[in-house]
Amino acid sequence: MEFPIIFWSVVLWMIFWGIVGSIGSRKAYLRKDLDTSNAGYLGAMIGAATGPFGLIALWIKTPKASKGLMIAPPIAAFILLAISFAFADPTNHCVSNGSFVASQISNGIILGILYGFMALGLTLIYSILGVVSFAHGDFYMIGGMAAYYVTVVWFPGINPLVGIGFACISTFALGALFERVFLTPMYDGRIERPVEYGILVTFGLAFTLQYFIAATVGSNPVKAKRYFDFPRIRWPSKEDPWLLKTSRGNMELFDTISISNPRFTAAVVCVMVLLMMIYFLNRTWTGKALRAVSLDRDAAAIAGINPNRMNMLAFALGGMLAALAGALLVQAFSWLPQVGAIPAMRSFVIVVLGGLGSLPGAFVGGIIVGLVESAGTGCVPNPQRAASYIPAYGGIVLLLTLLLRPTGLFGRRFSGGAHGKFG
Amino acid sequence: MTKQQTPLIMGIVIILFFAVFPFVYTGTNYPYVMHIIIAGFYYAILTSSWSMLSGYGGQFSFGHMGFTGIGAYTTALFCHYIYLSPEATNICTEFSIGSQYLVFVNPIGITSSTLVQDCLREALTIWDGSVQVTPMPVWLGIILGIAMGGLFGLLIGLLVLPLRAAYLALFTLGFTEILRAVISSELAITRGQAGLELPMLFENGINLFGKHYDKTDKIPPYFVMFFLLLICLGILYWLAQSKFGLFIRALREDQDAAAALGVNTTKYKIMLFVITSMMAAAAGAFFAHYIGIISPNNLMILQMSLVVSMAVIAGIENIFAAAIGAIIIEFTLEMLRSSFDIPIIGIEVDMTIWRLVVFGALLMITLRLSRNGIIAPIITYFSRGHVAEETVAKRKTSNANEESA
Repeated sequence: MEFPIIFWSVVLWMIFWGIVGSIGSRKAYLRKDLDTSNAGYLGAMIGAATGPFGLIALWIKTPKASKGLMIAPPIAAFILLAISFAFADPTNHCVSNGSFVASQISNGIILGILYGFMALGLTLIYSILGVVSFAHGDFYMIGGMAAYYVTVVWFPGINPLVGIGFACISTFALGALFERVFLTPMYDGRIERPVEYGILVTFGLAFTLQYFIAATVGSNPVKAKRYFDFPRIRWPSKEDPWLLKTSRGNMELFDTISISNPRFTAAVVCVMVLLMMIYFLNRTWTGKALRAVSLDRDAAAIAGINPNRMNMLAFALGGMLAALAGALLVQAFSWLPQVGAIPAMRSFVIVVLGGLGSLPGAFVGGIIVGLVESAGTGCVPNPQRAASYIPAYGGIVLLLTLLLRPTGLFGRRFSGGAHGKFG
Repeated sequence: MTKQQTPLIMGIVIILFFAVFPFVYTGTNYPYVMHIIIAGFYYAILTSSWSMLSGYGGQFSFGHMGFTGIGAYTTALFCHYIYLSPEATNICTEFSIGSQYLVFVNPIGITSSTLVQDCLREALTIWDGSVQVTPMPVWLGIILGIAMGGLFGLLIGLLVLPLRAAYLALFTLGFTEILRAVISSELAITRGQAGLELPMLFENGINLFGKHYDKTDKIPPYFVMFFLLLICLGILYWLAQSKFGLFIRALREDQDAAAALGVNTTKYKIMLFVITSMMAAAAGAFFAHYIGIISPNNLMILQMSLVVSMAVIAGIENIFAAAIGAIIIEFTLEMLRSSFDIPIIGIEVDMTIWRLVVFGALLMITLRLSRNGIIAPIITYFSRGHVAEETVAKRKTSNANEESA
């Protein structure tokens, strides 16, 4: 960075006015006897974006938190940050090289779709059971392992769809079994503090699964073959007389954006499964029943839905979604028993950012986290340091969300379902 | 001896056992066994303070290892970068204090020591042995570490005030994750995964009761950890017995109801965080000085899950059960580090990995079947077992009185 002072002074300025804004606005709203639930968030964002000028206006007018007022300040703050970065470091790739930016954005979106897909399962579980499943990363790992075993070890050369299907079915069964055996005492008041029980018991499951796989498979990394080759069309030549040929490389768009094959296929499948999930949740009886239980358990029970069965379905389905992501990504990454820890942490960040229990929030949150991460990796001057800071970017997003707006982007303020009852 | 005195007597017996153990035990694996017990004490401090935080106070924090790391890294950085020198080096950043100079060594990161030297080493080469620099005392570093742990505990306690249950767990998890990422990324200062070396607890050895102990001897750190554990347990027990314990249990059961009945929930929640994180930081600082090296892997989620599992298996709502359980589990886990053959199938089972599978399964089963853990109900059976019988007897007599009246 050439002029780091510019960037860091802007950052400090924003943090300072953000803190002032979040504390002051709460007081300003309280003095006028208004709803303070969004005041801290509004104050922090307007303070960060406009400094004292916007804050004074906010404290005088104390407007209602409309949608535009909620969205515009963070965007303005982001633009301010980006401009100061561009001035501080004019030779950085992120500033001077347009194609680099384009490829970072496309990579970020693809990564975000995959993260969002993982988080989808977690948020489904939370919205219905009220449990943050700490075993989510291990379902992801199990899915990858199952797909690897089917396609490489047991039946080499078999259609990868069989492997993916096996991964889904086995984790669905595992999730359902676990829910029946360990989570049922949560529902009928046999346990005093069900939320903590849920955290601890899924924590135990994560521990057991991870070491079980480490003990049976071993700790050496494994990797599956690529499921699918991109077709590539080219003119026939003497050495290469075929018109249509498959290639294993990356997909190149306009010579600038390069997307790796496994990630791209995984992202496409994830989007398709997401559309199926939306159809399932909105158009089928079972899906509607799931949503009904997440809104209000008792009312759903009166309407003839068995909430306990929906709990089982939700936990199994959530685990299956994570496993599906794993089965699709085992062709992209080396697979270890500990591989689930990183995506699990990302999923926690995403579900909190999107709002615990909100399905669209999981996807939007996933894409935001993917973009933040690729910006953080691509733009920080020292690449080695940038890479080792990756876990921190997610952590900062998580902490900021929890401090400023614990309900997340799309969170319901008054949630029903299990978490409303137990919370 | 009545039934309810049994836990007290057992406690005294256990303390006496650990007090005489290092002098009585004479196995060939003496240093190994001593090391395991010291590690057991370390985990016992973490587990009992975590059980205070989550079992009594209901604050499910996954950031306990983070506080351990703060304590350990504070003292490590302090001992690594600050020295006292009688003469000015003129190369380093330094301040004069009386006749001495406080020298701040410049961080050089992980480099071969022959190529790049920090400013103090350069100065030492120039002086060529004519000047003796003294490292800062270890105890000062440890005190700083504990204070820093308390400070961060205060900060986290303030930040998590509005958060409950799952949100709190995620927040503290994110905090630990950031801390770990920062420590492993700032190679220049913390040396990242390579780890930071610390002076031993008694760098020049120590004379105790007319006997000299070398710096690698296990007995001094053993008793340091043992007394630290006893002090922590004493403080925790006193807190649990006092009004403080009552208030934080009220906080756990229903925060709103407690606030409505006049408990200052903000104050007690923050106090709880500060006290437990200071204990974690103390344990981390002492243990880091005993081990002699600290790396960010000590903050990993795996370590946290060990502490959580120990607390849950032993009994999360009883600090003594948690401490005893931690020592027993640590000992068992270490003893299981072996492999054996299953005779009929002829498969070699490597217990080094399988022990953790069994451990995880035990955690789940304990949670499912006995929510207060395994050791806590035993203590309760002895200390409060008579309560039920007495109540029944009282009811009978009062019923009889009513009938006769």
